[in-house]
This record gives sequence, C-alpha cells and structure tokens, in this order.
Amino acid sequence: MSEQNGRPRRRPAPRPSVTPAGVRRVRRRLRRGGLGSLGCDALNGAVHLTGVVGRWDDRIRAGYIAASVRCRGVVNDIAVSGITEPAMTVPRVTDESLAGKAYDIVVVGAGVVGCAIARELSRFDLRIAVLEKEDDVGVHASSRNDGMIHPGFAPPPGTLKAWFNATGNRMYGDLARELGFQFDRVGSIVLFRSWWLRLLLPIMRLRAHQNGVDSPRVLTRGGVSRLEPNVTARQHGGLQFLSTGIVNPFEVTIAFAENAVQNGVEFHFETVLTGVELEMSGERRQIRSIRTNRGVITAGAVVNAAGSWADAVASLADDRFFTIHGRRGVDAVLDKQLSSTQHHALSMPDLLGSGRTHSKGGGLIPSIDGNLIAGPTAEETPDRENYATTHTEFTEVRDQLSLNDAVSSEFIITYFAGVRPATFTEDFIVERSIRVRNLTHVAGIQSPGLASAPAIAVEAARLAVESLREERGAEMGRNETFNPIRPARIDLSRLPLAERAVLISARPDYGQPVCRCEDVTEGEIRDALRSPLGVCSLDSIKRRTRAGAGRCHGGFCLPRVLEIIHEETGLPLESIRKKSGDSYLVLGRTKKIQRAPTHV
Amino acid sequence: MSDVCGDELVDVVVVGGGPAGVSAALAVGDAGAEVLIIEREDRLGGVLKQCIHDGFGVLQYGERLTGPEYAHRHVAALKCRQTQGGQIRVMTGAYLHSLRRDGTRWSIDLITSQGIQSIGTAAVVMATGCRERTDRQIYLHGDRPAGIFTAGQAQRLINIDGVMPGRNVVVLGSGDIGLIMARRFVLEGARVQGVYEIQSTVSGLARNVAQCLEDWNIPLHLGTTVTEVHGRNRVEAVTVCPVDGSGLPDHNAAERIPCDTLILSVGLIPENDIIADLGLPLDSSTGGPAVTQDRETQLPGLYVCGNALTVYDLVDYVSECGQAAGTAATRGATTARSAAAPSAHASAGPVETSGDIGQMVPQLLDLAADQPPVFFFRVKRAMDKATLTISRGGVQVESRRLTYLRPPEMIRYELRERAWAALRRNPGPISVAVEAADGS
Ligand SMILES: Cc1cc2nc3c(=O)[nH]c(=O)nc-3n(C[C@H](O)[C@H](O)[C@H](O)COP(=O)(O)OP(=O)(O)OC[C@H]3O[C@@H](n4cnc5c(N)ncnc54)[C@H](O)[C@@H]3O)c2cc1C
Ligand SMILES: Cc1cc2nc3c(=O)[nH]c(=O)nc-3n(C[C@H](O)[C@H](O)[C@H](O)COP(=O)(O)OP(=O)(O)OC[C@H]3O[C@@H](n4cnc5c(N)ncnc54)[C@H](O)[C@@H]3O)c2cc1C
Repeated sequence: MSEQNGRPRRRPAPRPSVTPAGVRRVRRRLRRGGLGSLGCDALNGAVHLTGVVGRWDDRIRAGYIAASVRCRGVVNDIAVSGITEPAMTVPRVTDESLAGKAYDIVVVGAGVVGCAIARELSRFDLRIAVLEKEDDVGVHASSRNDGMIHPGFAPPPGTLKAWFNATGNRMYGDLARELGFQFDRVGSIVLFRSWWLRLLLPIMRLRAHQNGVDSPRVLTRGGVSRLEPNVTARQHGGLQFLSTGIVNPFEVTIAFAENAVQNGVEFHFETVLTGVELEMSGERRQIRSIRTNRGVITAGAVVNAAGSWADAVASLADDRFFTIHGRRGVDAVLDKQLSSTQHHALSMPDLLGSGRTHSKGGGLIPSIDGNLIAGPTAEETPDRENYATTHTEFTEVRDQLSLNDAVSSEFIITYFAGVRPATFTEDFIVERSIRVRNLTHVAGIQSPGLASAPAIAVEAARLAVESLREERGAEMGRNETFNPIRPARIDLSRLPLAERAVLISARPDYGQPVCRCEDVTEGEIRDALRSPLGVCSLDSIKRRTRAGAGRCHGGFCLPRVLEIIHEETGLPLESIRKKSGDSYLVLGRTKKIQRAPTHV
Repeated sequence: MSDVCGDELVDVVVVGGGPAGVSAALAVGDAGAEVLIIEREDRLGGVLKQCIHDGFGVLQYGERLTGPEYAHRHVAALKCRQTQGGQIRVMTGAYLHSLRRDGTRWSIDLITSQGIQSIGTAAVVMATGCRERTDRQIYLHGDRPAGIFTAGQAQRLINIDGVMPGRNVVVLGSGDIGLIMARRFVLEGARVQGVYEIQSTVSGLARNVAQCLEDWNIPLHLGTTVTEVHGRNRVEAVTVCPVDGSGLPDHNAAERIPCDTLILSVGLIPENDIIADLGLPLDSSTGGPAVTQDRETQLPGLYVCGNALTVYDLVDYVSECGQAAGTAATRGATTARSAAAPSAHASAGPVETSGDIGQMVPQLLDLAADQPPVFFFRVKRAMDKATLTISRGGVQVESRRLTYLRPPEMIRYELRERAWAALRRNPGPISVAVEAADGS
C-alpha cells in the first residue's frame, strides 16, 4: 500500500493561557454538573482544580469540564476520599555512579518518544543522556499498545495530535528502512454500522483534507467483503485508509534507542529523576542540575518525556500546568494460525457513541508478527502502572472478535494491559516550558503517540536545541559521524532456509533452536544480550527475540534462556530477573551446600 | 552415533527422542529397516530426563523405575541394537523445521548447528510429546510478576538446574505433574500452602494424591480456583475462591493467600503444530490427529505416537504406542519401496464413541489388519461399574464389564480375536460405548 501524499498543514500553535472569564465559566459548569463545591482558579495559564469528591469518576469528570474552555491545560488537584493514587515505582538501587556527570541535554524517559528524541538529538554534536527508571527501554506504554500507525484521520482537525500523527505516519516508511524495523502499510478499514453513515462522506473527506491525510476510499458492503472475506455481516461498507501501517512498537523503540547509542547517546537504566535544581538566568529560571538515585548530574537542557509521570517531572521543576490521568486499555493477542484470515486493521466505531470514553473504539488489528490483536478497552484508573488484567475488561475485549467471523476466543493466547497518559485537554503537549527556560515538555502522548513519535521527536529536538542555543549564543554543531542506519536484527524465522544455512555456517548457534513456538535460536538470544543497550532481564530478551512469547509462554525455553543469560553475563541464576525491581525468577539453590566452618 | 550429511534418503524418520520416539525407532530396527531419530535437545529421553520420581515401567519391566532410569534402559537398548549392526541413527541438537509431501515420499527440513539438512523418507513418525497449558490459556488475571511457573518448568529448574523457583508455593490444578511437584517442593524444604482444583474431582491419578499430598499433609482444595495474582515484581499473594456448580467463582468467599510462587498444573496439550500446518485436523478431545491402530494419520506415511497423539498417564502405554507406530511405519516404508503404497486408509473406517467415553485412540480402524486393535480411552465421569460395548452396523460384537473407572486413568482394552473377526465381517458403522451399569 502507499505512503501518504496529502499535504501537511501548518503545525498548530500551543494552546493559550486561560482567561479570568474562562475560569468563571468553568466554575459555572462545575456547579451545573453538581461539582460546585470544588475550587477553581488559574495556575501557570492552566485551570487549577481543588477540593474533594467521593468518586474517581467525578474527579475525571471535573477535569474534562475544566478543559471545555480554552486553556493551556488542567491541573487537577482534586482528592478522592478513600483513594490514594499509588506512587511511581522507583528503582531500589542508590549509588553515585552518575555523580558529577555533565550533559548538554538530558532526556527523561525512554519510551518510544524519549528514544526517538534521543536519536534526533544525536544528529548534533552534543553530549546526550537518557534517564530511564526501568531496566530497559519501552517498558511502559511503548510496549503495551496495538502497534498501529494510524493515518491521522481520527484526531480533531487543528490539534497537535492531528498534525503529528499525519506527519509521523509519513515518516515511517523511510525510518523503517533506516532503522531496520518491520513495517507494513496493511491499510485499515473503518466499517460503517449503519447505511446512513455514508451521508457523512463529504464531512469525512473534508476532515481528511484538513488533517493532511489522503482521502479514504469509500467501500460498499460488497467491496469490504471482497477485500476481507471474513468480515462481519453487520457492516454497511466503510472507509479504507491505504497509509495505515503496523509495527512492533517495542522493536521501533529499541531501534531508535540503539541508533541513538550508535551515535553517541548514553542510556542510564534504573535511573530515576528525583529532583531539579533551579537557578535564575536573567528574568527566567533554568535548570542547573538534576538529582537522580545515582547522583547529581548537570544538564544544559532537559526534555521531559516521562509518559505517565510527565506531570510529576513538571512539578519537580515547579512548572505545573497539566495533570496526567491514566486510562487503561486491555488487548488480547490471538494465535498466528489466524494470520491469513484478515489483512487490514478493522474497526467499527460507534460514531454516535455514548461519549463514555475519550479513546477510540478499538478494533481487530493484524500484528507485524502475524498475530491478530483485539482491543483496546478504555477505563480510567488511579494507578498509572497497574497492568493487572481483570475479567470484566477481558470480556469487553472479546467483543472485538466479532469483527472477523473466522476468529473466536479459543484463539486467544495472551492478553495485556497498558495505561494511556491522558491529559484533560486531550491534545499532545510539545512545547518549551514558559517558566523554566531550558525545559521542554513532551507530555500527554497517548494514542496515536506511537504513530506520531517520529514527528514529535523532530519538533522536541528542535525546541531543546533552541533552548541550548539561546543560552550559549551559538549554533550547535552537527554530529559529523551521525549514521542514520541501524542494522536490523537477524531474525532467522523470517529467512528462507537457504539463507539460514549461510548464517549457521558462520554462527552455529543460529542452528540451535531454543523457543520452538516462535522459532528463536540460541544465537538470536545471544545477539540480544550483546546488543548496544546492554539489557539482561528475561522480559528484555522476550521483547527483542519473541522467545517465550508464543503458545507455550516459555514452558520449554525458560530454563534454557536463563542458562544463556548466565553464560553471557556471568550472573548467577539467582540474580537473573524477569524485569525491573525484585523480580527474581529463582530463589536460591536446591541443596545449599553448607561449608564446614574453617578455623584459622 | 553417526552424522548425517547432505540430502539423503532413509526408510523411516522418527521425530522426537522421548520414550515414544525411541520405542518407535527400536521397532523399526527390529523389523530390519533403517531409521533416523531426530531430537531437538542434546540428549535422548524427552521429558523423562526431569522426572526423578519413581513409578515408571511398572507394566513393561515390572519395576518402579525413575524417569531417567527408564530412559536409560531405552537408550541402552538402542546402543545395543546399534552395536549389533542395526541401522539406527540418532541426530541430537536437530530440530524438525518443516515437513512436506513430495510425490510418494516425505521431505523433511532440519535445522542443526551444522546447517540446514533435507532428508527424504517413506515414513515419518512424529513423537514430539506434549506441552503444558499456561496461565493465559486458563484466563488467569491480575498482575504479571515473576514467580508463576508451570509444573514442568519447576520440575526442570529443580531437578536439572538445581535451583528453587520458589519457597512458599500455591499449586493451581491437580494434574499429576502438579501433585508430584507439590511433594518435590516440600522435600526441598519449601512450604506448599495447598493444591487448588476448580473441578470437584482431582485430575491426577489417585496414587499421586495419596503419595504426593496425603503422605505429606499438603491440603487439597477441590471446587476452588485462583482468581487473581498479586505482586508487581515477584508474586506476593494469590486470591483463591470457591466456585459454584457452573464454575463461577464466589467472590464473597475469596481468600488472599500470601505466597511467592504459583505453580500451574492445568493440563497438557499434544504438540502438533507441524502437523496442523499440513492441514490435518486435530481431534478436539485428544488434541492429536485421528489415527488408525497403526497410528497412521489420514496422510499416508505419516504416523503420530506417544503424548503427541493423546496424553497418556503411563509411560508404558507411550512406549507401546511408539512401538506400534514404528512397526507399522516399517511395513509402510518397505512396501512403498517395492510398489505404490497401498494405504491402510483404503480399508479404514471411523470409530464412533458414545456414552461416557471422553476420548479414544485409535479413531480409525484399518479393517484389513489381522491383529486385533487395542483401544486406549478415558471416561468422562467416575463410575464404579460400567459396560463397554463394541458394535458394527447395530450388531454387538463385544460386551465387557469394567470396574472402577476414573477420568484421569487411561483404560487399555485389547479387542478379542473373535470380536475382531466379527467386526471385520459385518457391514456398517463401528461404534464403541461405555455406559454406567446400575446405580453408579
Ligand atoms: C492499550 C494501548 C494501545 C495503544 N495503541 C496505540 C496504537 O495502536 N498506535 C499508537 O500510535 N499509539 C497507541 N497507543 C499510545 C502509545 O502507546 C503511547 O502514545 C506511546 O507509547 C507513548 O510513549 P512515551 O514514550 O510517551 O511513554 P512511555 O512509553 O510510557 O515512556 C515513558 C517512560 O518514562 C519513564 N519515566 C517516567 N518518569 C521517570 C522519571 N522520573 N525518571 C526516569 N524515567 C521516568 C517511564 O519509566 C517510561 O519508560 C496505545 C496506548 C495504549 C495504552
Ligand atoms: C513437563 C512434563 C512433565 C511430565 N512428567 C511426567 C511424570 O512425572 N510422570 C509421567 O508418567 N509422565 C509425565 N509426563 C508425561 C510424559 O510426557 C510422558 O509420560 C512421556 O514422557 C511422553 O513421552 P513422549 O515420547 O510422547 O514425549 P516426550 O518425552 O515429551 O518426548 C518428545 C521429544 O520430542 C522432541 N521434539 C519435540 N518437537 C521436536 C522437533 N520439532 N524436532 C525435534 N525434536 C522435537 C522433544 O525435545 C522431546 O525430547 C510429563 C509431561 C510433561 C510435559
């Protein structure tokens, strides 16, 4: 399918500060909504809410009422009786390994956004570090999503979301070639629930035009079934978007990060930003240094790409103008056997919808690895790192299966949850801080954040470099040795046998299968352990190689993978973890040999 | 054990070097044909290597061997046959990648650390064993910490790698490996809080309940399941809930049990992905393809045996099954060499099961065979007395009283000569039924 040709429109300007009249309007609307007891004023150009409510839902509702006026953002300090928002999980380690280090730019957060920004920044001759509190890149939203590269049709025209999404989508083809990740423009079909939706076609065409998205093809009911013979009979035709793509979101995140490392960026894992030292620079404040669990670092400029905790980072810099609220989404993954039953990403949104949630209705999407993904659901949660799945959400995901008559819930091999870092204004925040000269915020990057990440990165890097230039009064030099090419990882399962044979003759461990479900060899696991980011947890290996991601979920390969990690890293089995924190897999030896005490 | 190089031809290829595969290969060797065993791991023995408890080989050897001892006897027999000039070859560290029909032959692609090899053969015996059902397949919810293992993973970690996957354990599911591992954990000094089974009956063998739970005071909770896992990094607790008659948990009676490990023993699934890729449908009750008493599938020259066919409860049956497949594959391979293969399927008819039979092999009967077939089946519910009837075209050829039938236990039934002769003679559909006899 094709790259998008539509002309991008100009990038919209950041939102304006709230006016006193705006604040009054919010107060009135809160009263009408039965939330009159809440406090409302202006803070840093944002609407600031305070008070106490009895239910989480009311806190969220108040936030959206506040966002119904034009404002930079909503700071929601409403407490909910009986609920304490769980704090961010932080690494256990504390040391001074980074104390005294000095960087030109520090990026906080190694999700797809932070990694893409790091790679853009590595085009400059700068010392750059990325801080990530987990043990790997992309552990949060960036590995817990649908992997869809949306065309950019859905976001409301005039929003940053619309602009970054359409622009990001256009960049994916070249990026996939440069960074060696899998990318396929499979196209998507938005199915009509009722025949009369066709009456809205002129509006839809206009929207495509406004967002700079290629006009969708209009399909009749028969046209849809010709393209997708297994599609549900309930459809009444639909819109086909040719530029919709799919990726493995985690592979994309790694690719950005590894290319950044190739070009000189340092990644520091299990390193959390815990504080910011501000100083005055003329009229404005600026960050002088940042505190981490591994010591104090000086930074010329800071990029806040902290996902679900971006508001916490803003708060550390005394620059609150938005609050993040987590919106969970659950997805189910279906067996690869079904891969030939569907080609496009399918969805059938309830356009009249009850307006219950702010996330799109979900669908049934092919994954780049040959599975189908059903979901996601949308539910507000006080716990931004709660990835536990529940029976109720799971039942809701299963409803999506009805889009394709060939699938049923028996084919579900796994399911997972992610949390979208939503703001109440529902748009992306990509701007330089008004209060802190050398801080750039990249926040509220919920769906389609993956699709938008490449475009967001270009802009965020520009802003960060601009803040540095202002301070230094000189242009930043280019990185003369910048190499945009990251070699793709060797994935034997995708190669014809003859090519595999050639590789095996050079590396016999490519001929030693470890994970039978996903056809992963020992050599590929060793490659992952030797890769530039230096990761060694079980989940890191699984995300890179798919070992243990198949039908048996590591039933056979787990012990072997542990052994290989031990051989490559020298870690004793008891020190190998599944992920960050105390996620140790084995708790000691069976027969502990008690050494006889030696007397000196 | 010799190496195989380049594209070559062998009479029979056996895939999988567990008890089923080795028995099949021994049978091929006995019949004087050449056979190649392909095993993915670096040693033969299959899953027996990690089963260090005893109770293997009671029927075959009249002894209670451990898994490795049983496997050792097999491998010793293989070596002995090799020194006597038998054409049995073994390739370890070799993985069957794909299988396809090439005219009258089968073509096999193998991946090894020496490269890719293609082998042509007249007959393929699949003996790839089974895998375990996982937490996702039983829709377990909650957090995803470290500390959730299948019983087989725990078995391998403790018995082979010498490490403890946990110290404070809850076992979900009462399959045999779970029961055996509950005892193993206790023997290794860990605490086992209990075994929780959603059904009202145990899915493992009665002897394992007695020897692995009762003897060690490990509580067994029937009609109870784990509804949620707690713990971000490592398991910290699980919620257990009794279930009502339709299997729905009663959340009011939920109890939170602190623990660091959840062990799952919730079923085994025959490993047949390669066969499914060939388009062979799998029998939903056994999880394997339908086969004749020769263990031949509906694709001529393709045989399946052992736990890849149906999950047996005794290794002796697995070996018997392998042997039957090996013998038949040799016959198939040698006739194929001399003439166009007369497939058994020309004379095979489907067997219908009814009454309380839950699963059965063979699902097809080759009526041209002289030997009476042996049926292996499980019943759906516990019965103290039952009647087995076998009939064809409505005419009953066999009726037998059976006692003490329990769903976990595989029943081996060898058809008598006279009944087989009658079955072959009569026209019409063949059916096998088990009905409870008065009051049970
Ligand atoms: C269920 C679901 C489905 C989705 N589907 C799609 C889709 O199909 N297409 C699409 O385009 N988008 C989709 N999205 C959205 C997409 O996943 C996100 O927009 C994107 O991953 C956001 O990336 P990020 O880098 O901003 O955030 P994250 O990936 O969350 O990264 C932020 C990182 O910052 C780290 N961090 C936070 N605070 C600190 C600190 N103080 N110190 C150090 N590190 C810190 C965190 O540990 C984290 O790793 C989906 C989201 C969900 C939840
Ligand atoms: C984890 C586990 C524990 C068990 N514990 C017990 C127990 O304690 N007691 C008991 O009576 N029964 C136990 N069983 C049942 C046991 O499987 C049987 O008793 C018996 O071992 C089955 O023999 P088999 O030859 O059919 O399969 P297996 O012993 O599983 O052998 C299959 C062999 O095929 C190989 N293989 C698979 N796919 C390929 C391929 N594509 N290419 C090359 N080689 C391949 C495997 O590596 C394996 O060696 C257990 C089963 C499992 C899964």
